[in-house]
Amino acid sequence: MVIADELTSPIPTRGGRGTSRSTPKFKFDKSLLGLLPLFLFLGYFLLYPIASIISASIHDNKHHLTLSLYGNLFSGNYRDAFTGSFKLAFYSMIVSGIAGALICWSVVKTTGVVRTITSSAAGVLANTGGVPLAFMFIAAFGQEGLITKLLLHVFHWDLYGGSFDLYNFWGILLVYCFFQIPLMVIIFTPALENLRVEWIEANESLGGTKFQYFRHVLIPVLLPSFLSACLLLFASAFSAFATAAAMSNGSIPLVPLFIGNLVNGNVIAGQENQGDAMAMGMVIVSLFVIAAYLLLLRVTRKR
Amino acid sequence: MKRKFTAFDKVIIAFAAFFFIAPLIAAAEYSLRGYGDKGHTFANYSWIVHQLGFSPALLTSLRIAAITILIVLVLMVPTVVYVHLGGRRYRRLVEILCLLPIVIPVVSLAIGAQVAMPKSLQSTSYELCFFYVVVAMPYVYRTLDIGLQSVALSTLVEASQSLGADWFKTLTMVIIPAIRSSTTGALFITFALSLGEYTLAVLLHFHTFPTWATNVSQQNIYGSIAISVTTLGGAWIFLIVIAFIPRIKSLFAQRKRVA
Amino acid sequence: MDLHGSTVEFRNVKRTFGTVKALDDFSLTIKPGELVTLLGPSGCGKTTALRILAGIDKEHEGIVEIDGKDMSQVPANKRNIGMVFQAYSLFPNMTAIENVAYGLRVRGVDSRKRESRARELLDLVGLSTQADRRPTQLSGGQQQRVALARALAIEPSVLLLDEPLSALDAQVRAQLREEIRRIQSTIGISTLFVTHDQEEAMAISDRVGVMNKGVLEQIDEPGKLYNKPRTPFVAGFVGLTNYIPAVTESKSSVLVLSQSLEISDHSPAVKKGDEVRALIRPEEFEVQKADEGATVITKSFLGPVTRLGIDVGTPDLIYAEITSKEAKKIDTGDFVRLSINSDAVMIEHV
Repeated sequence: MVIADELTSPIPTRGGRGTSRSTPKFKFDKSLLGLLPLFLFLGYFLLYPIASIISASIHDNKHHLTLSLYGNLFSGNYRDAFTGSFKLAFYSMIVSGIAGALICWSVVKTTGVVRTITSSAAGVLANTGGVPLAFMFIAAFGQEGLITKLLLHVFHWDLYGGSFDLYNFWGILLVYCFFQIPLMVIIFTPALENLRVEWIEANESLGGTKFQYFRHVLIPVLLPSFLSACLLLFASAFSAFATAAAMSNGSIPLVPLFIGNLVNGNVIAGQENQGDAMAMGMVIVSLFVIAAYLLLLRVTRKR
Repeated sequence: MKRKFTAFDKVIIAFAAFFFIAPLIAAAEYSLRGYGDKGHTFANYSWIVHQLGFSPALLTSLRIAAITILIVLVLMVPTVVYVHLGGRRYRRLVEILCLLPIVIPVVSLAIGAQVAMPKSLQSTSYELCFFYVVVAMPYVYRTLDIGLQSVALSTLVEASQSLGADWFKTLTMVIIPAIRSSTTGALFITFALSLGEYTLAVLLHFHTFPTWATNVSQQNIYGSIAISVTTLGGAWIFLIVIAFIPRIKSLFAQRKRVA
Repeated sequence: MDLHGSTVEFRNVKRTFGTVKALDDFSLTIKPGELVTLLGPSGCGKTTALRILAGIDKEHEGIVEIDGKDMSQVPANKRNIGMVFQAYSLFPNMTAIENVAYGLRVRGVDSRKRESRARELLDLVGLSTQADRRPTQLSGGQQQRVALARALAIEPSVLLLDEPLSALDAQVRAQLREEIRRIQSTIGISTLFVTHDQEEAMAISDRVGVMNKGVLEQIDEPGKLYNKPRTPFVAGFVGLTNYIPAVTESKSSVLVLSQSLEISDHSPAVKKGDEVRALIRPEEFEVQKADEGATVITKSFLGPVTRLGIDVGTPDLIYAEITSKEAKKIDTGDFVRLSINSDAVMIEHV
């Protein structure tokens, strides 16, 4: 049983790696040839561009090796951009993570047509973004928007009475929820579908209360999946560009917008390669998040 | 035995439905408004079509989408089939490679393209096709992989050969029909992505339909919302069609069996 | 490990799902230490009865008592009932021993006591070396053993087994059912076992109740159930039976394969000349080689007996079992004469 598990597990076992290491001669495997087109394509259109950014990011404009461009990321506007992106990604992760999980909880109980509609709606909404989404929210929640008017005239709640503005941080957060919550629903549904009614019944017959079921079974079972789903939300919000570009008019410091500005030629003299360092900064953050995600996934798969 | 559907669930679903449907209705209403409270009109929609650059932008996007699909068809489909047949031991490697683009933010990829690609390629909007293949790759791989797993391709091939079919017959009569539905799915995803992609297009300064729509939007708020409603509506209908393709297919299959 | 057996009583229990009667006037008593099995096809109401006893299904009429105490106001988590489910019931976030100890944990038993008790039970089911494995690291059979240990750990008054073997391979299934029986009789716990597998039911039960469409058709010891079925359904469901077209000669006799036989007591009422079906077990036939008559079409060796498929001109082949020694003389294609060796046969209307 254990052996079978090891064989089917996606992560190679230590034993497996050991044996391949002990064969000293590298034998060329002809079946690799079939993968050559993919290797070449990804090499040229993915790895080569990334390598070029890395190379540019560690050279100053006099072609000297330096890490100062990365150092810059920790000060001034650059730091503000990273802080802004972190804040937006974090808040949207929390809000969308919890809201999405709650919706998921109710949606997995539905059947038939309702289920089909909600699941395809989630798939569709999660892929909505950019300018169309931004304008839809302007039409709904803007000063002249239908929902703003509805809230004011029916519920006597002036949306713009407080600090809310569609173009500031909270506005963007609201817009992000529109595609982040459905994304959460998509990612989290399988975890909830794997829950068994037998666990509830076993807990009951063993004398456990509802609270004990939540505390000892449900939460420990779901937590790794929930956290890993949240990490994906973080990564998605952190690197989203189109929606932010359409919404903020540059009023909020965010890394993707900052990079966009640099690409569009708004470069400070002498710091031509700063954009590359920022782009790499994003890649590194994204790498860390995905690595944590994979780690958590391993924990869930072991179960 | 299903878990019970409670009042709490109803509240949650009603709330979610409101949050996702209300902005749509609001946008639709807004797009029908006329200037100076002249009641509701379709003027904003006809305005879109009469804007300069509408059809060239749409045509460019369609051409890019077509070429992207072609590359996916030539590059990805044979590779994933190959991994499922001969190069099984490299499946893990190929999976990691194909999922790699998820880790790379599109903004970073745009910078990389600007730094690394030769000028000749950067001067044509068809450069986008290659990068759209990269961006679509994780989804394309997943779709193809899941599709191929469910048909147990190697068993089918063995069965076909033990029944006396040569490689050509196996390819045309077994492999291609077996992967048709997952291939269609992968191509639809690619198509949707290429038509709607904005980040790479705008950062690399190309004029595609999404960048055109953004530019035009600066001029007329009502018109821009009409554009949003049109593109969102179009994209959604498209994506819903993708989601329902397997159902429609099984419907047809049933018809055939009955007939 | 001295659990005294409890008495369980169902009295006139009814349960409907919409318009479907899942249980209709169901009454059953389980004596202390007894293993009673409910046997029947899916949807016959056997699982409903079990879930009502467990307290998971509360919307029923009638009375359920354990040791004379009415259970209607007792929630599932206060009934002190051990339950083993079909599969996948182990908590995936806990190891085997943590699963077994869970019932004691929610009762507030201190950790040292519950661990030693859990080890004791893992030992009983033969899994003491697998204590720290998670459910996914255990085979299906091992998982069900852990589930059994977990159910017994709380010293329940009744043990409920809801098709616990149905998800397992044939070999594991046969082995585990013997073990369940061994453990059950060692502890002496009153047990309700639910299954659709008649071999399983016959092998391990003190008494078997056959259910059909919410009705308990007959409850008896396994041998009696097989030899003296009280309804056509029981006769057909338990063991292999031939349904042979026949015509009644009077209220009490029937002509089957041109042989006049007495109609058994539990058959439905008939009058002369009714077209009916007679239910004849394969071993009730005697087969003799002949020069003409019925033809042997199939012959399958089953160890001590051999089963012959014989064409007598009825739509279906008739299956007869004779000793393998006798069968040596008969081959497929041979002509045979069939006679029925039975005091009284059960019949049913066509």
